[in-house]
Amino acid sequence: MEFFKNAVNWASGPTVLFTLSTVGLLLSFKYTQIWSKKVAYIFFAVFALVYFTSMLDPNFYLIVAKPDNVPITFVLFLVAFFTWYAMYQGVENDKRIEAGEDVLEKQEQEKVWVWPDLVYTELLCMVILGVGLMVWSILLPAPLEQPANPADSPNPSKAPWYFLGLQEMLVYYDPWLAGVVFPTLIIVGLMAIPYIDTNPKGNGYFTFKERKAEIAIFLYGFLVLWVLLVISGTFLRGPNWNFFGPYEYWDQHRIEPLLNVHVSDFFWVRGLGRPLPSNPIVREFLGIILVLFYVGVLPVLMARPREKLPKFLQWISLNKYFQKMGPARYYLGVILFLAMLSLPIKMYLRWAFNLKYVVAFPEIFFNI
Amino acid sequence: MAQEEKKAATDGADKAAKPAAKKKGKDVSRREFNWLALGWTFFAAATAAGLGAMGRFMFPNVLTEPPSSFKAGLPSDFAIGVVDTRFKEAYQVWIVRNEEGIYALSTICTHLGCTPNWLSAESKFKCPCHGSGFYMSGINFEGPAPRPLERHRIVLAEDGQVLVDKSRIYKQEAGQWSDPESFLTLA
Amino acid sequence: MEKVWSAISGAWDATTESQVWKSVFRHGAVTSNRNRVLVMMSNVFLHLHPVKSRKAGIKLRYTWCMGGITFFLFLVLTFTGLLLMFYYRPTVQYAYSDIIDLGEHVPLGVMRELHRWGAHAMVITVWLHMFRVFMTGSYKPPREFNWGIGVILLVLTLLLSFTGYLLPWDQLAIWAITVGSNMARATPLLGTEGPLTAALKLGEINLVNSGNDARFALLGARSVGENTLLRFYVLHCVGLPLAAAVLMAVHFWRVRKDGGISGPM
Ligand code: HEM
Ligand code: FES
Repeated sequence: MEFFKNAVNWASGPTVLFTLSTVGLLLSFKYTQIWSKKVAYIFFAVFALVYFTSMLDPNFYLIVAKPDNVPITFVLFLVAFFTWYAMYQGVENDKRIEAGEDVLEKQEQEKVWVWPDLVYTELLCMVILGVGLMVWSILLPAPLEQPANPADSPNPSKAPWYFLGLQEMLVYYDPWLAGVVFPTLIIVGLMAIPYIDTNPKGNGYFTFKERKAEIAIFLYGFLVLWVLLVISGTFLRGPNWNFFGPYEYWDQHRIEPLLNVHVSDFFWVRGLGRPLPSNPIVREFLGIILVLFYVGVLPVLMARPREKLPKFLQWISLNKYFQKMGPARYYLGVILFLAMLSLPIKMYLRWAFNLKYVVAFPEIFFNI
Repeated sequence: MAQEEKKAATDGADKAAKPAAKKKGKDVSRREFNWLALGWTFFAAATAAGLGAMGRFMFPNVLTEPPSSFKAGLPSDFAIGVVDTRFKEAYQVWIVRNEEGIYALSTICTHLGCTPNWLSAESKFKCPCHGSGFYMSGINFEGPAPRPLERHRIVLAEDGQVLVDKSRIYKQEAGQWSDPESFLTLA
Repeated sequence: MEKVWSAISGAWDATTESQVWKSVFRHGAVTSNRNRVLVMMSNVFLHLHPVKSRKAGIKLRYTWCMGGITFFLFLVLTFTGLLLMFYYRPTVQYAYSDIIDLGEHVPLGVMRELHRWGAHAMVITVWLHMFRVFMTGSYKPPREFNWGIGVILLVLTLLLSFTGYLLPWDQLAIWAITVGSNMARATPLLGTEGPLTAALKLGEINLVNSGNDARFALLGARSVGENTLLRFYVLHCVGLPLAAAVLMAVHFWRVRKDGGISGPM
């Protein structure tokens, strides 16, 4: 038992959890047969069993059963279920396509009367949901904490759960990026999806094979970079914003020194063994070059054909997409994609090197 | 190509709209164009003015805020090496006395505005929200805070008391801590 | 038994054949095809629907009814929110105690629960709705524009939730809003601590300061206080729901005009 708990606690550390989720998701795209009914039954049964018996653990119970955290349990199960359901239907349709059959949605083209076929379904949904909400409200009183006191911040202070993804970004990026630029990019990026994605297939039915890249990118963003951060932000972030495993006690006094190192420190102090130059531009030149390379040069390199790239870089070529989408769509898409990847990149840099800023101009609040 | 066809099939209006738009572009005479331009310019200007006025409406001319300066007692009330937290609740200020003098630190974390706690055992300010840590001087050394805590104007009033004025802010990263009024030097 | 039964059905017939009933419902029992058309055409609420629809598109398997559920939750929230407004006063002095009273001094003390858990549920269902729309590729032509409307609805839903979070005026509320609104300070050019803002200077005076930056517009003050509570209240109860309702009308209209629920061509 203890062994199991320790293993889960270990696997819930940010590095391991994040890496496992990413790898797991990528593998599931390769071995699509795992999106089957059988695997789903086993997975949900085991997961639910572990989850609900874990309630016996006092530390786990304290966090999961907190009234405001109850929705997160719903998120966890609903998102898992619907991800499986969408992928399952997609994989089933892919089999039909492969066999030369029509997709399921195409087989049901005939028109039916909306009354009663749809109206009654809607009515039923409404009644079930209404009753469910009523039961939830009677069983679980809405929380109310101490009256507001501007002189005393609770520890930890959390944003509402649906913004915990943003709050998690704030650990790795300054507010102007994590709080302003990234949210804007998320909104703009979502709105731009239909204009970037020109793949005419997979419109109006579930499929995976016909739109692999789109689905993979979207699922990575939605599941790993958003929902996973929300869940870990709620359940695993404790006092002083430290990480705690699900079975760990939230110790207010656990000290984890967070020593900050910048790229400039790596280059000047550790690399060349001299003090930081006083001219800020000189001080930060390496970071500036890295950032400019990432947003300015990398997309251009990726647009080039494979054989025109040096050997070790050939894997980054997206020439296929550049050809298919044309320059405007390609660059918009790639820049949004790189912006999305900049979050995990910075996360890993932080975990591996304690890196705080790539470029740091605290004088003008311009830190990356 | 396939996409074009689908679009046309589902959306007949789309098909009709395209050639029409082209024709219309050619049909607008010079005269008509001038009127159109004038009309839209006026419309845009009126909209911009309206939005500007509405924006301005959100910033009141008078704001009732608690008085920004207060007297904190005589310099001798503060012991050397101690962070005085008596004014935290009412004025969001810590008053700190060191060997050379006294300074007033803002209690607002420079990360996202939570109120850190003074942990005397570890001799640091620690923010509960995201874990930023500050030395007694206000300099940040751990966590996400990008810069040191701010200091407020601190001088001696005529009656010999320490006067803290919160409306004036001194930032270390802007080199303002060398300002004589950011630090009350005591002989 | 027989008698009771015939009395009931007699009363039912008398009701549905009365002038009053007929003036309200312009069709007979919805058992004939003619009436299946009429019910959709003559009822303002039902006319969001088409008369007939492709079978695949109305299956729960396809839409998960997520958009519909989201809309239903919006209606529940509007209604319960309206009831809460009868007792809640958005001032620092009263807000917190009014919330306590809502649970203790008012009959059916679950109104606050319905509103709060309904709001949480709505956030979840909007996400899932967007997820479904993505996974069926329903944003592809001709539905690009409606996807965009949807994204704005998603943002509005989150903002509605966020502004409501402040109203109980407890510790959870003010610190969540303090941290959240402090991000506005970091807006480039418009926030006091944003990059490039420092460049906006007239002589020695900073053009953008804590008294006129983006955060101030949100809070109505330099820190979360009385003005903030009022601003969030107005946005939460009037501004944002109104915007959301208008956009939902556009959203539903476009679902119909873009050819109904998507399906393979
Ligand atoms: C307040 C929030 C929203 C409400 C009340 C709402 C409601 C609905 C409803 C009732 C439908 C009919 C089909 C269905 O139930 O799935 C629908 C379809 C649709 N929604 Fe939403 N929606 C909302 C938010 C969104 C969001 C966030 C997106 C995407 C970013 C979106 C994009 C779409 C699209 C593209 C369709 C057409 C789908 C198809 O034809 O298959 N909506 N919406
Ligand atoms: S507000 Fe203090 S660390 Fe974030």
